[in-house]
Amino acid sequence: MLGLAARRAVYLVPVLLAVTLLTFLVASLLPGDLAYAILGDQATPETVAALRHDMGLDQPALWRYLRWLGGVLQGDLGRSYRTGESVLGAILGRLPVSLQLMVAAEIAAFVVAIPIAIQCAARAGTGFDRLATGIAFAKLSIPSFMVAILLIYLFAVQLRLFPATGYVPFGEDPLGNLRSLVLPALTLAIGEWPVLMRVLRSDMIATLQEDFIALAKAKGLRPRRILLVHALKPSSLTLVTVAGINIGRLIGGTVIVESIFALPGIGRLLIGAIYTRDFMILQGVVLFVATGFVMVNFLVDTLYALLDPRIRHGH
Amino acid sequence: MVAGIAPIDAYPIVGPPIDPRASRKGTRGEDTAMDAALRLTCLARIIALTVVAFLPVGQAAAQKQGGSITVGLELDIAGFDPLKVGVFDTSGTMAASLIFDTLTYLDENGEAQPKLAQSWTHSEDYKTWTFRLRPDVKFHDGTPFNAQAVKFNIDRQKDPKNKCRCAFYIANIKEVEASDDLTAVFHLTDPAVTLPKLMTIPSSNFVMQSPTAMLAKGDDYNRNPVGTGPFVIKSWTAGDRLVLERNAGYWDRTRPYLDRVVMRPLPDSQARFASLEAGESDLIWDDEYDSDNILKAKNDRALKVHEYVGSGATVYAFNTKLEPFDDVRVRQALVMAIDRKKMSQALTNGLSRPATNPYGEGSWVKCTDDGALPHDLGKAQALLKEYGKPVKFKMLVTATPRGRASGQVLQQFWKDAGAEMEIEQVDQTAIVTRAFARKFDLTPWRIIDLADPDPQMYANFHTGSPSALANFSNPDLDRLLEHARATADPLKRTEDYCAISRLLNKEAIWFWTFQNTYYAIAKAKLKGLPKLYSGVIDVSPTWLE
Amino acid sequence: MAISEARDAAALPQSARPRAAVSKLFWLAAGWIALVFLATSLANVLPLPDPTRMELLDKRRPPNATHWLGTDGLGRDMLSRLIHGARISLTVGILAPLIGLIIGGALGMSAGYFRRSAETVITGAVDVLLAFPPLVLALAVTAYLGQTVANLTWVIGVLSIPAFTRVARAATLSLAEREFILAARAAGASELRILVRELLPNVILPLLAFFLLAVAVTIVVEGALSFLGLGVPPPAPSWGSMIGEGRESLEVAPRIAFLPAMAMFLTVLAFNIVGDTLRAITDPRQTAL
Repeated sequence: MLGLAARRAVYLVPVLLAVTLLTFLVASLLPGDLAYAILGDQATPETVAALRHDMGLDQPALWRYLRWLGGVLQGDLGRSYRTGESVLGAILGRLPVSLQLMVAAEIAAFVVAIPIAIQCAARAGTGFDRLATGIAFAKLSIPSFMVAILLIYLFAVQLRLFPATGYVPFGEDPLGNLRSLVLPALTLAIGEWPVLMRVLRSDMIATLQEDFIALAKAKGLRPRRILLVHALKPSSLTLVTVAGINIGRLIGGTVIVESIFALPGIGRLLIGAIYTRDFMILQGVVLFVATGFVMVNFLVDTLYALLDPRIRHGH
Repeated sequence: MVAGIAPIDAYPIVGPPIDPRASRKGTRGEDTAMDAALRLTCLARIIALTVVAFLPVGQAAAQKQGGSITVGLELDIAGFDPLKVGVFDTSGTMAASLIFDTLTYLDENGEAQPKLAQSWTHSEDYKTWTFRLRPDVKFHDGTPFNAQAVKFNIDRQKDPKNKCRCAFYIANIKEVEASDDLTAVFHLTDPAVTLPKLMTIPSSNFVMQSPTAMLAKGDDYNRNPVGTGPFVIKSWTAGDRLVLERNAGYWDRTRPYLDRVVMRPLPDSQARFASLEAGESDLIWDDEYDSDNILKAKNDRALKVHEYVGSGATVYAFNTKLEPFDDVRVRQALVMAIDRKKMSQALTNGLSRPATNPYGEGSWVKCTDDGALPHDLGKAQALLKEYGKPVKFKMLVTATPRGRASGQVLQQFWKDAGAEMEIEQVDQTAIVTRAFARKFDLTPWRIIDLADPDPQMYANFHTGSPSALANFSNPDLDRLLEHARATADPLKRTEDYCAISRLLNKEAIWFWTFQNTYYAIAKAKLKGLPKLYSGVIDVSPTWLE
Repeated sequence: MAISEARDAAALPQSARPRAAVSKLFWLAAGWIALVFLATSLANVLPLPDPTRMELLDKRRPPNATHWLGTDGLGRDMLSRLIHGARISLTVGILAPLIGLIIGGALGMSAGYFRRSAETVITGAVDVLLAFPPLVLALAVTAYLGQTVANLTWVIGVLSIPAFTRVARAATLSLAEREFILAARAAGASELRILVRELLPNVILPLLAFFLLAVAVTIVVEGALSFLGLGVPPPAPSWGSMIGEGRESLEVAPRIAFLPAMAMFLTVLAFNIVGDTLRAITDPRQTAL
């Protein structure tokens, strides 16, 4: 186990280096210099040049990257150019929100997707299957920004059940925290469960055609047992893969939901950093997100072996 | 994008606080054992009350103490240190009007009234202004507010070592002298007839911040500002909320009425309106592109739409150094092809007010003839035909729904006239960069609402100014701008500015589509909101009924 | 399929057999797809108003004689925009995931089959792409290469590669140690042959199911990108951007957002029904318990 963990750590480093370097280089290409953004109306060629020199922006990108890297290795992620707040502080302040949202959304999506997928696979081609499929695609056709507004108008404005916007920290008010997460998590889950449902259904249909299922049937096992105990696990590969990718994306990519529900999450931080060309924040967030992805994918890979014993981590 | 200044800070006219006890009638039907003195006192009170009741005290008797409101902003606040953020944007000024004070504020009639400065005088040539400051005012950290603090604030912004973007807007202040603790003398480079009015804005230039705190906190000051204002920061979670609490030691003992103000950035306009409808917000910032909701709110008894027609406009600048905009016929044709009424109907259900000059209805500059080009599609087509060569160009738009919508409408107008415009979407930062680097054919811009047209007109049109986006130089124009800046007589200045408008409209180097109309939508029970001068929503003098 | 058919003999009596695989629904779905493709290819020939022509004073009109499906928020004909929008949505919606499918599928299968260093390098590269902020890429491409449908397709396509890679890898992992692979190897088949003849037919199923989902997701993603200014350049219509534009008029004229959503729903559903039916036909073993 330790060997595996050590291998993962070794794997993590080049990935982080590659991602952060690539992000830095590509982001440096973006038009719209930070110096211009800061100077605004006062931007003459001289003032811009002076400010760029001060901020070190006139150095070659690679050199600036190395300087940043040097800071990171000492544990200093730097400070935002724009607001002066510490990058680490900014990220850690928002991480709990994004994580809570992500967990809530995934749980909600799984809770709906798995049972329906199982039933669809068991009754492939029947009316139930068609109906569930239809609903799933209907959900997919409604983008998250529409779902969000519809939910807000229904549950927050009309029924006043949940808050339209805002986030309450768990420490401050546990119930309020949960209430403030319901609508955003639901919005995300509604976008996710169709995909999860369809991939699980698809894999399960394939699994149900396998020999060992026929064997189980021949042994007289009850359908429910066959489905849940024997068929579900090996069918879950794609499900788990897709869920893993989604979880990773949810950490940095829920901008739309965060903007609409006014949640102080990582997504908005990232978008704001991109638009204001605040490289320190951008690099910091990418570092976190990349680490998150690698960890999640590691977990997913481990799950493969658990779900399908035929997969061995042979090397 | 452009100078995000121009705050409004208007307290009700300073008058005696209404004594709640005085509302009780002093006389009774039957004779009680009141002696003559008491009766006289009661009578005096009634008379006083009656007199006071007829005074123009704006929002009269019912200010209620206490309560908390939540305000929905569009953008998150970056911070308050001018050296870091340069200029406060809309959200920044909203918060700044609560945390800080300026020397003066604008009343209901647009006149400058005392705030941190009690009185002021000026020299003959309007180049020196002397402000007598209010005594016994303390910053939230206990340090005294005095002339040295005023000097420190201005010096710090102007110090070339600090490279503050904000320095540009106070370039005309040569230096501030603290002749004694309560006297601040402003020495200007050019005459400024309306300086007290220009200082009313809670912008990064004019809010008074604590020198001690700025020196002590360094980089951390940006998010931990200290002012003299009616509210103090209690807590601030980035991207989530800024909680302000009543300043018990405020120099005006009767203010503020509210105990607490919570400011929340709600970027999505529909969600922001929903939060108002759901009762979560008591007031929200809004703009005319949200016209459906504004019209809905106007019909809702529980809500009140606050509207203010400011000076200035949404504008566009041609790059006259590039083809085809080096030819005035092309520029004029394009301007004449625009049907502003239709555009307003399409984009904002008619809420947008067409602009024909850079000043607008909200400005004190009123022109009988501003030289505006008429909407004349036939003439536009003819001019382009006369030009002869095909007219193809790109226009920058902000990558937002409103940017795209405006761009597409203009695109259609110009297609009808015979010109081919391609839309180039870029984000806000890129627009600023490209505008200043003159890397554009046609770019959007803004002239915001300020008490005086001089700062922006000079910056936008004088030869050599970084903001003279059109790359256009005209000695007559320069002369008029300089003259308007230096003259004290408002009539003469109006003449100058109208002449400038005629020149600009004829040359069509910039054009203006719609005037600046600022909106705030609030619950009807929120009273006392002053005019939205320069688009700043100042909730400091408000109360809840 | 490589697994022998011998087990059919051992199969239990069929209980609930799926109905005749080629049902009415299939024909409806196929018909809709045909209609959509016909309309989009004939878009320029059909007597439709210009999809970018605004009747500024006629915005948000309900369906009438001149505008069969009404007008949108800027007074443009909805029917015309739906049909022209289909072209762009389907082009991007199909081609972009196709890029992901081909490149991602190949990479994923290689990673899952060859293991060792190939797998490490491929999964590493894919993780890098996964963690790279997509918006930065989209912004950079738009700024330097221009905002065109082709660039948009490539950006979305490249960004979808990691997902396809991981799905393909997962499927390959579960199949690579199976008997039929060992048997083929024992029989002396080359690696390439094994990959193409034995693995691919098995891996393609989950990949195709994923692909059809990706089509739906891509059409919506294009709308989100348009919202940020990175999608199809205005005034060209696409279903996704129409949904985005319709959002502002939800209370006044919900039709503006729901018509493109409906079009998208029907089309994507039709694709999947056709896909499901084709799979059922080619593999008629019952799955019901």
